[in-house]
Amino acid sequence: MTEVLAHRSRALTPEETEELLRDRLGDHVQRAVVEYGIFTLWIAPEGWLEAARRCREERLLAYDMFDTLLGVDAREDGFDVVAVLYSTSTGNRLALRTRCPGGRDAPTLDSLTEVYRGANWMERETYDMFGIAFTGHPGLTPRILTVDNFEGWPLRKDFHLAARAAKPWPGVAEPVELDEEGNKIERERAIGDAPGPYELDKAMAAQAQAVNAPPAPAVDEPEAAEVAEGTAEDAAAADGAAAAGDDGAAAAPAAEDAASSPEPTPAERRKQQAEARAAKARERAEKAKARAAAKQAAQQQDEQPAAAGDQPAAEQPAAAGDQPADEQPATDDAAQPAAPEAEAAAEDATDEDVDPRVAARRKRQAEARAKRAQARQQQRASTEDDGEDDA
Amino acid sequence: MSDLDVREEYLAATAPGEEIALEIGDGDFQTADMSLSIGPAHPATHGVFRIVLELDGERVREARPVIGYMHRGFEKLAEHRDYRQIKALVNRHDWLSGFSNELGVALAVEQMMEFEVPERAQWIRMLIAEWNRILNHLMFIGSYALELGAITPMFYAFREREDIQHLLESATGGRLHFTYNQVGGLKIDLPKGFLAESARVSALVRSRFPDYLDLILGNEIFHGRSKGVGPLPTDVALSIGVSGPTLHATGLPEDSRVTEPYLKYDEIDVEVPVGENGDAYDRFYCLVHRIRASLDIIDQIHDRIPAGPVNSKLPKMVKAPEGATYVRTENPLGQLGYWLESDGGRTPWRLKMRTPSFSNVQAIPYLMRGQLLPDAISILGSVFFVVGDIDR
Repeated sequence: MTEVLAHRSRALTPEETEELLRDRLGDHVQRAVVEYGIFTLWIAPEGWLEAARRCREERLLAYDMFDTLLGVDAREDGFDVVAVLYSTSTGNRLALRTRCPGGRDAPTLDSLTEVYRGANWMERETYDMFGIAFTGHPGLTPRILTVDNFEGWPLRKDFHLAARAAKPWPGVAEPVELDEEGNKIERERAIGDAPGPYELDKAMAAQAQAVNAPPAPAVDEPEAAEVAEGTAEDAAAADGAAAAGDDGAAAAPAAEDAASSPEPTPAERRKQQAEARAAKARERAEKAKARAAAKQAAQQQDEQPAAAGDQPAAEQPAAAGDQPADEQPATDDAAQPAAPEAEAAAEDATDEDVDPRVAARRKRQAEARAKRAQARQQQRASTEDDGEDDA
Repeated sequence: MSDLDVREEYLAATAPGEEIALEIGDGDFQTADMSLSIGPAHPATHGVFRIVLELDGERVREARPVIGYMHRGFEKLAEHRDYRQIKALVNRHDWLSGFSNELGVALAVEQMMEFEVPERAQWIRMLIAEWNRILNHLMFIGSYALELGAITPMFYAFREREDIQHLLESATGGRLHFTYNQVGGLKIDLPKGFLAESARVSALVRSRFPDYLDLILGNEIFHGRSKGVGPLPTDVALSIGVSGPTLHATGLPEDSRVTEPYLKYDEIDVEVPVGENGDAYDRFYCLVHRIRASLDIIDQIHDRIPAGPVNSKLPKMVKAPEGATYVRTENPLGQLGYWLESDGGRTPWRLKMRTPSFSNVQAIPYLMRGQLLPDAISILGSVFFVVGDIDR
């Protein structure tokens, strides 16, 4: 059993800690604050990693436990990062705090992962929530808590709570917007303010208008089509319809302005979807073709007898590097020296119109057949021997 | 054979620092690498938690926990809530220790507002927090045994849990989310006869405690599944930030009730059970014996609760002054920390939840490396975690 608080008597006071770290880090120590029971040391970002290392390795400090790491929105100045450390031998707790260089646009900071293992996930979380890039971190992505395709940095104050944007909080106003008597505080908006009820009302009104507005193209189509016929007599029917759609959108009343983006008609949407599907199918076909070619090349290599026997198995994946992993066993089989029938089957398989996967399967089957035949022969031989013995 | 004898024998058999021979894929048996994804919905992960194992034969080469399936953005939500409303949010992240969660926030706000909490409220908080700890541990006793293939301990655990749930329901009105704490004290006083009932339940649970020792800790199959599985050295555990039973199992009794006492923990004796090897067996051993330690604390509290008010008059507007604080409490699963930063407004500027499960689960890649696949499940269960507590 290890002792806790073994060096309680040697624990440094906040003043002594500051003095020691000032001696070791020089100007990197900016200021020390003790408030509400927590000792915070402000560190210049250049000395961030070094400060953490000193805290862990100095024998008088011995901050061996990595407690937590968090980001704090510092409004116009960007973001702060706080690392809380704890020493199990002295019982001291210290918060290192720094302001990330790069402002609100591109905040960066050195990673502490080489000093404390626990910084790994904590920094990933801070990256996920604030977008602070930690240099030297083994991998900030994929995003640890939100989904991979999440956009934005949720805990920044300029990221508004989605629930509030969709539905106002029950009651007249946000808690932050009332003074002690319950009156609304009038002031200028700042970073970090939740969208007020009036803005929410406006947003909701716009939304409602957009939803309830008559579907513009459908109503305007007959008129607009006539106009189109009048202006462009020789136009083909399809072109006319397209022009009608455009005109309809342009002629739509103010309701259209309220919605942020005009919605495509169902027909247009279907067309877009069909196009997307076709493009995907084309892509898939191209990929399949490329795979087949690569496979064939690999097989042709294998069929050269000397190469097939001598090549170590480890080189095979490299030869077929762009193939997906689930097809790997097939190439491994191909690498093994095959029975005569199997080779014949493999030669058949090199015909252009045969799928390489089918070829591999045929080859395996042929091999198995050959093996079974061999086994049967051996068995027959042995039973003959037995028979002789019996005789 | 008693539990202690078994432990002695086990410790004699496994010398500390013994290397586990790792012979992966050499010799005649060539094995192919395989990637195995367990979860996000798998009974062994008790929650939406996913872990990707890179296997070499039956050895785990690399384990990658994938978390975030249950992220509900509590830290963001807390920035939009009044200080008094936060307690209803925070008792949801670790749903097995609702009371202990709210306690941390109440303490943090009180610390910033320099609020004097009545003595009686502080003692009652301790009492309920310890009952909550037992509730939580009973759940994990049942679930860990279940993961190793034994279903009976679950029934035993729920027998006791039901008694304690009734007890806490009589005081708080809740079974899972108690919301009994308030900034400045408690919602209401204990009902009449609560302490007598509490003493009765305490004696009952204590009388049934040997069942667990016999049923699980003395079970040969359980030993086979947990001893020497996933050892964790103390220095690695501290560097990761592991706490609670998982840290105590490594032999370090680092418990904030002892080292940084809050409430009235400095006035009573708190025993912290420790292990020696930091393996799955020791983790479970610490968990089980923490129940006994908590019962001891509860019995001490019964005699000490003073009379008096349980809450104090709050100002109409609860506002923490500008500044930041960090409050750490010993939650059932480990150290729960709240970094509370205020800009002087009615809602927190930043509330960071340092949850024990998040840090403890971070040790899983270290624990599983080089272990066998069946042991991976044993390790996963022995790093006691609640998925809501990881994802928040």
